[in-house]
Amino acid sequence: MDLLIDSFISAIGLVVSMDAEMVAIIGVSLKVSCVSTALASMIGVPLGFGIAFGRFAGKRMTITVLNTMLALPTVVIGLFVYAFISRRGIFGPLDLLYTQDAIIIGQVILIIPVIAAFTVAAISRIDERYRQTARTLGANRHQTAWVVFREARFGIVAAIVAAFGRVISEIGISMMLGGNIRGFTRTMTTAMALEYDKGSFVLAVALGIVLLGLSFGMNLLFHFFQGRVQSQ
Amino acid sequence: MIYKVTDLIKIYGSRTVLDIAHLEIEKEQIYALLGANGAGKTTLLNILGLLETPTAGQIQYRSRSVNYSESALQALRKEIVLVSQHPILFTTTVFKNLEFGLKIRKIDKKERIRIIDESLDLVGMREFSNAPAQHLSGGETQRVAIARALALSPRVFLCDEPTSSVDVENQNIIITILRRINEAKKISVLFTTHDRSQAARLAQHTIVLNQGRLVPTMYENIFRGVLQTDPSGQPQCVIQDKMHLSIGGHQLIEKPKAVSVFIDPEKIVGRKPSEDPAAANELQGRVVQIIAENGKVRIVVDAGVWVALLVSQRRYQQIGFMVGETIRLSIPPEAINII
Repeated sequence: MDLLIDSFISAIGLVVSMDAEMVAIIGVSLKVSCVSTALASMIGVPLGFGIAFGRFAGKRMTITVLNTMLALPTVVIGLFVYAFISRRGIFGPLDLLYTQDAIIIGQVILIIPVIAAFTVAAISRIDERYRQTARTLGANRHQTAWVVFREARFGIVAAIVAAFGRVISEIGISMMLGGNIRGFTRTMTTAMALEYDKGSFVLAVALGIVLLGLSFGMNLLFHFFQGRVQSQ
Repeated sequence: MIYKVTDLIKIYGSRTVLDIAHLEIEKEQIYALLGANGAGKTTLLNILGLLETPTAGQIQYRSRSVNYSESALQALRKEIVLVSQHPILFTTTVFKNLEFGLKIRKIDKKERIRIIDESLDLVGMREFSNAPAQHLSGGETQRVAIARALALSPRVFLCDEPTSSVDVENQNIIITILRRINEAKKISVLFTTHDRSQAARLAQHTIVLNQGRLVPTMYENIFRGVLQTDPSGQPQCVIQDKMHLSIGGHQLIEKPKAVSVFIDPEKIVGRKPSEDPAAANELQGRVVQIIAENGKVRIVVDAGVWVALLVSQRRYQQIGFMVGETIRLSIPPEAINII
């Protein structure tokens, strides 16, 4: 118990003093998470919108597959991407393994289903009358789609926030594809795992506090946007 | 003529919801589309609003057959606007709701502002221009939805039950707006309603739908009944187990058959209970409503089921019924039509 309390007090000191190593680790985490969320949003939002708005055979099956992919373990993605970017993989010559780009690739694969599935849910919740109203006011297909997208905006932002929460706290991909290289690919979660292995808890607890703070902030944002969806 | 409908059929699943052989709608007139729930009113309105395609048949709009390609429909939809029974406003300001259709029509900003102000004035909602649309009441939402449609200066204005979900004050405002836009802007108006008296007050023409078909009646006095033979061997129609009406003739009915029955309100005779009874189909009831209408008087009677009769003003003055009084009705067989 003393160990935990001592570590916690020292960790607070690290957070308050903005320890250089801790700030660097947080910087790497935020950078890869923001880039992967942005890239995945560019793919996931149009994908989810297309699935929800479109009328095509196999739509229900596609949504089921998408929902199934929400449970994809990070280590499976890590292994899968590793097979492509390791020296013997087809993208081996690009030297991506143990880089931030590798982490980003893995994380994008991880959260595309999250963003797409949540976008499908957000669009599906939009009242059919919006579509009909837009059409009777003279809107073409694209303008009608834009109306539906606009009405679903809070739900879509909530999807992106949820996806960011997922990548900032994942460890499997960052560890397997980033390699936990100090100052380069060491993220909050991989650093915490390393510090635990070393039996040094202060930095791990400090990062844990920051991570929890970030997750709390993300959840506040998520619930704010979800609340806006429900009040529509 | 603005619409000509020929052999229109609409089927959902295995159910035929519309089957209209012929319907013509004149331009610059107000039409009321009457019918019970499930009669096909909204489906017909959606088809005329080009939001649904018929299963079969032809729709002519301004003497041209409607082409159901998306680009052709989009061009036509710029002339026809439909306001649904429970209209929905975009989650933005009232102003931006009205601006949506105008932007699509590439109307410049200055003109847009002028049209929006004018349209909101017409429905008495100018002061709500910058209000968030989702905070409006049901009646205000309906009025803004009408303004949003009218801002587009349509040739045809279709309105599904415009007054069904608003209070009496808003009902009167909406009726006035519909009349005014027809008179001042020469917009053809077609609205659905359950309310016969509202249709009579507002519309120049009435279309009545019953189970997807046009019926040449005035909507009321249409009942579901059972055609059967009475104990004396005469054919009779039983309506809701409350009215047993002899329909005359010697038609042999082998087994009871469900039918729709129309009782002509002009052929029903109303008498004081003290007067001599008529020969056939004598009923007694209580007067629940009296309405003066186009030189005649409509008396609605609760005789177990609600039945309306239409009498001349002279006859009404002779019998002088008041609401709440007991009245005796006689329904001659020739007033009963199996439809």
